Amino acid sequence: MKKGQIVMTVTIGIMCLILTALIFMQVKTISQTNISELEIMRESELRTELTSLKSKYDEVIAKIQETNEKILEYEEAAIDGREASELLQEELKETEDLLGKNSVSGEGIIIKMSNNGTNKINAQDLLELVNILKNAGAEAISINEQRIVYDNYIVDINGSSFISVNNDKISAPFTIKAIGNTSYLESSVAQKNAGYIDTKTSEGKVVTLEREENLTIPAYTGSLDFEYVKEGA
Amino acid sequence: MIIIAILIGCILGAIIGINGPVISYTYSGYLAIAIVAALDSVFGGITSVLKGNFELKVFISGFFGNAVLSILLTWLGVKLNVDIYLAAIVVFVGRMFTNLAIIRRYYIDKWSDMIKKRGGLIKSKKQNETK
Repeated sequence: MKKGQIVMTVTIGIMCLILTALIFMQVKTISQTNISELEIMRESELRTELTSLKSKYDEVIAKIQETNEKILEYEEAAIDGREASELLQEELKETEDLLGKNSVSGEGIIIKMSNNGTNKINAQDLLELVNILKNAGAEAISINEQRIVYDNYIVDINGSSFISVNNDKISAPFTIKAIGNTSYLESSVAQKNAGYIDTKTSEGKVVTLEREENLTIPAYTGSLDFEYVKEGA
Repeated sequence: MIIIAILIGCILGAIIGINGPVISYTYSGYLAIAIVAALDSVFGGITSVLKGNFELKVFISGFFGNAVLSILLTWLGVKLNVDIYLAAIVVFVGRMFTNLAIIRRYYIDKWSDMIKKRGGLIKSKKQNETK
């Protein structure tokens, strides 16, 4: 075989190799490529895609605006609702304060009473004191940490060895706390001779009075429910 | 001998191509043009062989030169925003058809000559002459 012929054979073989390799690679590439991918689309396809996307975008923007407006409305409504509920909460708290369902603090006086031998404190004494304090403008009263509210009762039990307040049996010594104008409270019980303290002292009972800048009166722990009362006239 | 070389080349090329890397889609357009140009050169080569004026240097330079040139033109077209690759494809595919026609005629002629030599059908000879 001539040298030229060998060269030609080899060259043509290599060329065939290159050509078929390229063809197969190209075919593989095309078959493996996802035509719908954005990066490989033709310009015209991209144009239509872009147009449709633009219209979709506009639609979405419009929807967003609509939704935002709705959200704003809801927010406004929610704020209104919150205001109303806050107001209600405040009212409720005030009512509870008035009823004695919350513990309160403020300036006031503390009266301590204790038995002295046979001269025992009875329910009448306590009732009288509570009445006097209320008359003097006491806003909150407690006896031995029992809050005095509108439906309290103070009665003797077993010949006055115990006194029932709010269904709780309490016994001497008694500590009566009252929040209110200190001067009024004090003067209401501390009148010379005719006053409550002097009267009780003269009866042989031990009564002391203290001023307090900041005393705390606990909340009423019992229930304040109506069973027979109905609303309306 | 050449046929064996072509077969080996084709088989090896197919194996390499199948196992080879995937070209990114952006460049596959250029590759397609190069393939068309190369195929055109191949058919041109076959034609020149049949005509008897085959020359290896011309064939090789046409094979690679056309491929590279078509790639360059396509790239230029992309830069200029003109679809030059269309012109390349028209030219190459047109030439491919021309060459294929020449190859077809050659073999048809050969075939009819063969029939004539075997004792000949006058009809076919006449047909050839009139053609």
